[in-house]
Amino acid sequence: MNVYAVDRLSVAIGGESLVEDISFAIAPGACVALVGESGSGKSLTCLTPFGLSVGVATGSAQLGADELCGMDEAVLRPIRARDVGFVFQQPLTALTPHLTVGAQLAEAATQAGGPKPNRAAMATMLEAVGLHQPVERLDQYPHRLSGGQRQRVMIAAAIAHSPRLLVADEPTTALDASLRHEIMDLFDRLRRERGLGILLVSHDLATVRGHADQIIVMRDGHMVEAGPAQNIIAAPQQAYTKDLVAAAPRLDTPRPVLAEPSGHLLFARGVSVQFARPGWRGGRMTAVDGVDLDVATGEAVALVGESGSGKSTLGRAVARLGPCDAGAVSWRGVPMPPRAQMTPTLRRLIQPVFQDPVASLDPRWTVEDTVAEPLKHLMPELDRAERTARVAAALEAVELPSDFANRVPHQLSGGQAQRVAIARALVAEPEMLLLDEATSALDVLVAAQIVALLQRIQRDRGLSILAITHDLPLARLLCHRIAVLEDGQIVEMGEADAIIGNPQHPATQRLVAASRR
Amino acid sequence: MRVLLLIIGSIAAAALLVPSALPWRYDVIDWDHVRAPAMAGSHLLGTDSVGRDLLARILVGTRVTLSVALAAALVALVIGVAWGAIAGWVGGKTDDIMMRIVDALYALPFMFVVIILMVVFGRSILLVFLGIGVVEWLTMARVVRGQVIQLKNRPFVIAAEAAGASSRATLIGHILPNVAGVAIAYLMLTVPQVVMIESFLSFLGLGVQEPMTSLGILVKEGADDMDIAPLGLIAAGGMLVTLLVSLTLAGEKLRDRVGG
Repeated sequence: MNVYAVDRLSVAIGGESLVEDISFAIAPGACVALVGESGSGKSLTCLTPFGLSVGVATGSAQLGADELCGMDEAVLRPIRARDVGFVFQQPLTALTPHLTVGAQLAEAATQAGGPKPNRAAMATMLEAVGLHQPVERLDQYPHRLSGGQRQRVMIAAAIAHSPRLLVADEPTTALDASLRHEIMDLFDRLRRERGLGILLVSHDLATVRGHADQIIVMRDGHMVEAGPAQNIIAAPQQAYTKDLVAAAPRLDTPRPVLAEPSGHLLFARGVSVQFARPGWRGGRMTAVDGVDLDVATGEAVALVGESGSGKSTLGRAVARLGPCDAGAVSWRGVPMPPRAQMTPTLRRLIQPVFQDPVASLDPRWTVEDTVAEPLKHLMPELDRAERTARVAAALEAVELPSDFANRVPHQLSGGQAQRVAIARALVAEPEMLLLDEATSALDVLVAAQIVALLQRIQRDRGLSILAITHDLPLARLLCHRIAVLEDGQIVEMGEADAIIGNPQHPATQRLVAASRR
Repeated sequence: MRVLLLIIGSIAAAALLVPSALPWRYDVIDWDHVRAPAMAGSHLLGTDSVGRDLLARILVGTRVTLSVALAAALVALVIGVAWGAIAGWVGGKTDDIMMRIVDALYALPFMFVVIILMVVFGRSILLVFLGIGVVEWLTMARVVRGQVIQLKNRPFVIAAEAAGASSRATLIGHILPNVAGVAIAYLMLTVPQVVMIESFLSFLGLGVQEPMTSLGILVKEGADDMDIAPLGLIAAGGMLVTLLVSLTLAGEKLRDRVGG
């Protein structure tokens, strides 16, 4: 008997069919993963039968003996409360901020009409999801917990009423690489121990690998390929699945040959950044603590670390785009002035590309104005015709058609917006790029294209790169050297192959282990 | 939304254009018709207690009230946006000081301040403009500052810094255009507030001076005569309520639309 069986499920919103003909079944203790890029309909497929999206489901979705399709809210609500648990992407917003962990657990446990659990029982629930000091946690509010801890509380709440099925919609996307596998391991354990069926939604094959039994690859609302997880990853049949498998950077693929760096370019000594602690008590916390960093001409260096390790703050401090409280940075032996005194000549040298492509572009500016902005300030000697020509050349360099010049950001996809951001960074001919998680907000396939573009630019222009990332396989593709950060300090630095092949520091070992899986 | 704008637009157009087309000016006394009922002679809505055409007076009063409100709201817009943008953009100590000034002004019993201004400097429309505008910018400054602080850390603003844009260029090119939607929505919400304040001051006899009139004065005159000639109060009050409701609803809709 399957926990959950979906047969020829279709979903339509406002008469428009967005998902068609999806079928799968989840046995007790099994995990089925829906994988696809954004807009592929994977979340609709998983949420609509339970009445949690605006779509209308047709076909069949059976939870145990109950048919879900076509039922109204009054029928679905008790079923949801009794038999299903849900975990969502954002652990920060999925917990109610003014309720303690204990209160939320009690609420979750009683929603199906069960008795209110006592503190000991709730502590056991937290222990079951791998939270330490469970008794103290019961009285804490969500803001006291880290992202990973919050997600564990979410999972504890989702399984508090002993459901038969757990629906997890991108449960690890907002988490660090090393946390991702801890959470996935937790899912595996719950399946083994409780016979819980899991329906997992993810955009990332790499996360699902080794955890899901069945993988369903979706695109444009259709099933592209479905089958046992090992087969899909080891021997994909469809071209799209092959692309998807190949696109995720891995540690065991051959490393590209990078150009030989020469001579010192950037020289940073003792860089420290402190932030004022929020709240009444004040005080300052150190985000970056006396870091030394060198980058040679044509060299690419990756700053790798978990979130909160200070890698972004360090990158921005060095590029004079963020606060820098102590330390000296020099460029070819000439000291760089503090942020407020940077001249256009110096600004031209380092250009940034940020994580969120849409937020990187002013929503009111056309692509042409955006790309021309650095030219206007950094090369004021250019006249209008020269400027237009350079903008066109920059758009061509990032493989965007020239008629994109008149578009505004909301007419661009994420990948196109990131290309515009790269064009803006390149147009004034900088000597170094600061890539701040430049691909991590993009879908796997789009990210692979952007990485290929960056590799070509690196090769053709001999640019130096300072890449901030949490993704070791990606760092390995672009960078000569890797610096691993923890708590604002570089704990390990060396050639990329040496760091990945023979990690010394526990933080590095954690990161390598997380990306080896 | 469209209906609301149509109502506001036609009231404004009528207040602006119709009075000159009427047979009677708002300040001319028709000795043959004093306290005349509606449709008496050529007076569509009749006349007031001294024989002036009521329709002309209401339309002129609306014109005065609306222009005071618009001018005061514009004063509020200019001061509020400039103050809020500078405080939010510069941040730190400057921000603290500027916003504490705003807090202090908020704490003043503002109606009292306006009344003292009137008493000390004498009554004039200009002073009504200034007095109201100077107080109404406080909310605008807070709203704009909040928006600017949000925008300041957006990647495109940091990218502009990397592109060599000066603070001035970033403020004018990136920050202000992105604040504009919210600022205009709050401008729409400020107008009815000022209409309310102006009417209240005029009702107390501190606003514009006879024979010039405004909705507040007309409501007061109507209220004085309401037991013998209720039409004066009903017409002036109806106009005031219609204006306030449509302006407020339109402003709130606009604010929701731009996400302020």
